[in-house]
Amino acid sequence: MGRVISATLARGLLALLIVVALGPILWTVLGAFKELRDIVTPVPKLLFEPTLDNFATILRNPTIRDGLLHSGVVVSVSVLIGAVLGIPAAHALARHAQRFGDDVQFFVLSLRFMPPVAIAIPFIVIYLDLGIYDTLFGLILVYLITTISTVIWLSVPAFERVPRDIEEAAAMEGCSPFEVFWRFSLPVAAPSLFGAIVFTFVLVWNELLLALTLAAQNATLPVVAASITSLGKEVPWGVINAATVVLVIPPLVFIGLLMGLLNTSVQSGRK
Amino acid sequence: MANITCSNIVKSYGAFPVIDGLDLSIPDHEFVVFLGPSGCGKSTMLRMIAGLEEVTGGRIEIGGTDVTDMPPGDRGVAMVFQSYALYPHMSVADNITFGLRRQGVSRSEIAPRLEQVADMLGLSPYLDRRPKNLSGGQQQRVAMARAMIKTPKVFLFDEPLSNLDAKLREKLRTEIRKMHLQLKTTTIFVTHDQLEAMTIADRIVLMRDGEIEQMGTPDEIFERPASHFVADFIGTPAMNFIDATIEAGHVARAGSIALSLSPELFPGLVPGQKVELGLRPASMDLAAPDAPNAIGGTVVLVENMGAEGQVITQVDGAEISFVTPQFRQVRAGETVHFALRPDQIHIFDPETGRSLRGV
Repeated sequence: MGRVISATLARGLLALLIVVALGPILWTVLGAFKELRDIVTPVPKLLFEPTLDNFATILRNPTIRDGLLHSGVVVSVSVLIGAVLGIPAAHALARHAQRFGDDVQFFVLSLRFMPPVAIAIPFIVIYLDLGIYDTLFGLILVYLITTISTVIWLSVPAFERVPRDIEEAAAMEGCSPFEVFWRFSLPVAAPSLFGAIVFTFVLVWNELLLALTLAAQNATLPVVAASITSLGKEVPWGVINAATVVLVIPPLVFIGLLMGLLNTSVQSGRK
Repeated sequence: MANITCSNIVKSYGAFPVIDGLDLSIPDHEFVVFLGPSGCGKSTMLRMIAGLEEVTGGRIEIGGTDVTDMPPGDRGVAMVFQSYALYPHMSVADNITFGLRRQGVSRSEIAPRLEQVADMLGLSPYLDRRPKNLSGGQQQRVAMARAMIKTPKVFLFDEPLSNLDAKLREKLRTEIRKMHLQLKTTTIFVTHDQLEAMTIADRIVLMRDGEIEQMGTPDEIFERPASHFVADFIGTPAMNFIDATIEAGHVARAGSIALSLSPELFPGLVPGQKVELGLRPASMDLAAPDAPNAIGGTVVLVENMGAEGQVITQVDGAEISFVTPQFRQVRAGETVHFALRPDQIHIFDPETGRSLRGV
C-alpha cells in the first residue's frame, strides 16, 4: 500500500515538473498559432481558430529570413571547422601530449573564462580596422574560439575513455598513428563526440551578445528575434512566439538527426 | 618463427629504472612464461618486445633482425591482450581479418585462412556477431584468432586469462598449449599465476623487481629454486620456512626440530652456520614419531582440498603445514608427526636468500 502511495506521489511530482518545464514552451507554441486578440485576452484561451499568419509574417520578412540564413551559415561553418580542428586536437591531447598536455587543456578551458562582454568592444575596433566588421566571416572567426575550445574540452574525455589496448592492438597490426585515430579511436569515441558537437552547436546557435555587437546588417537569428519587439507600435506577441519557434526548430532537428544517427550506430553495434 | 634475443635492456620512467640491464635469450619454437608478482617488470618487458613501449637502452632482436627501433607492426609479432582489445565497431570476422585486409591480402586468400582459424577455435557460428555479444571466453578466442591468422613469427600473450573464471581459464590454458604444439610458434606468455606458468611453459622466466630471479623449466624452478623468493612464489600450499642452525653431522636444528641433510646436495655447510630451511608441504606426509626427520606438532587446522588436505600444525610456536591424503584421520588439537626425505629439504642463505645447494 505504502509503495503504491509513494509511487503515485512520485508520478504526481514528475508530472508537475514536466508541466513546469514544458508549460512555457507549450504556451509559446500555442501563441505562435494565435491571432493577437486571442493572445491578449484576459482569459487565456486553449481553444481557438489557429492561424499561420504569424509564420507568414516571419517568413515574408526579409530580415528574419536573412537572419535564419546567416545563423545557418555562421553556426554550421563554425561548428564544422571547430569539429575538424578540435577533434583531432583532442585526440592528440588525450593520447600523445605528455609534457604539456594539462597546460594546453587548461589554456583551452581558459578561453571560456573571459566574459564575451569583455572582448566585444575591442573586437569591434579590431574588426572595423580589419574591414571584417558586420561580415559573416568575422562572426565565424570569433565563434571559432568558442567551437574549437568547447569541442576540444568535451572530446578529450571521450578519447580518454577509448581503451588504450584497442589503439595498441591496431598499432600491432601495423596502423600508423593517423590510421589508429581515424579507423579506431574516432568510431569508438563517436557517440560521445556527437554529444560534444550538439552542445557546441546549441551554444553558438543561441549566442546573442557577440552577434549583436559585431554585426549589423548581417545579423543572426537571435539578434533579429530580439529586435522584433520593436517591429510595430503594439507588441506583436504572435510574431514573437512564431519567431521563437523558428529559432528553436533547427537545433531540435539537428539534435534529432544526431540522435537518430547515434541510435543506428548503437543498433548496428548490437547486431 | 624466430628466436628472440634481448641484450642489456634498460627501461626507465624518468630517472627511475624499472628494468636495469636485463639479458634474455629465447630459442625458436619455445613457449616461455614471464612470471612474477605485479610490478616486477614482466609486462613492461613484453610490451618492449612488442614495440608498444620504448626501450631506454639495449637491443632487441627477433629472428636475427634488430627490431629495437621498429614500429610494432613491422616486427612480425602478434599480441593477445588481457582485456582482449577487440574492435567494438567491427564484426568478429572483420576483427580477425583486419590485419590481413590492411596489408592488402586478397579476399580469396583471406577466406580460407579465416575459415581455418575460426574452425580451430570454434568461432565459426559467431563470425557475424559484434564482440560485445560474445562471452569472455569467446572474446578471448577471437583475440587469439586475430593473432593467429597473421602467422606471426612470435606470439605475445599479456595475462590473457586473468579476466576469465577459473574453469574457463583452465580450458583455454589447455587450448593455448595445444595450439602451440600444433603451430610451434615462439611464444611469450605473461602471468602472475604460478600454477598457470607451471602447466603451460617450456621454460619459466621468474622476474622480481625488474631482474630475472631464475630461468628454467617448470621442474627446475619447482625442484631446485635458486632463492627464497622463487621457493616462496612457486608451489601451493606455499613452502614453510624455518630458521635453523647447522650442527655437526649435517644436521639442521631449530628448537625441537632436527633434520639430517644430504651432504651431496649441500657440501658447503659448516657447523654453527645460520641457514633458512625450506620445506614444501607437498613433500611431507604423516610419519611415525621415530621415523627419520620426523617433526612433531600440534594440529591447529585441517583444510580439506578434496583428494588431499592441508594440515596446519604448530611447532615451537611457529606454524608448519603439510599435505596428506589421510587428513580425515587428523583432528585439531592432536599431536601429529610428519617427515620428509633429506633430498627434499631446501636450504637458503638467510642474508642473501640464495639457495645453498652445491650442485
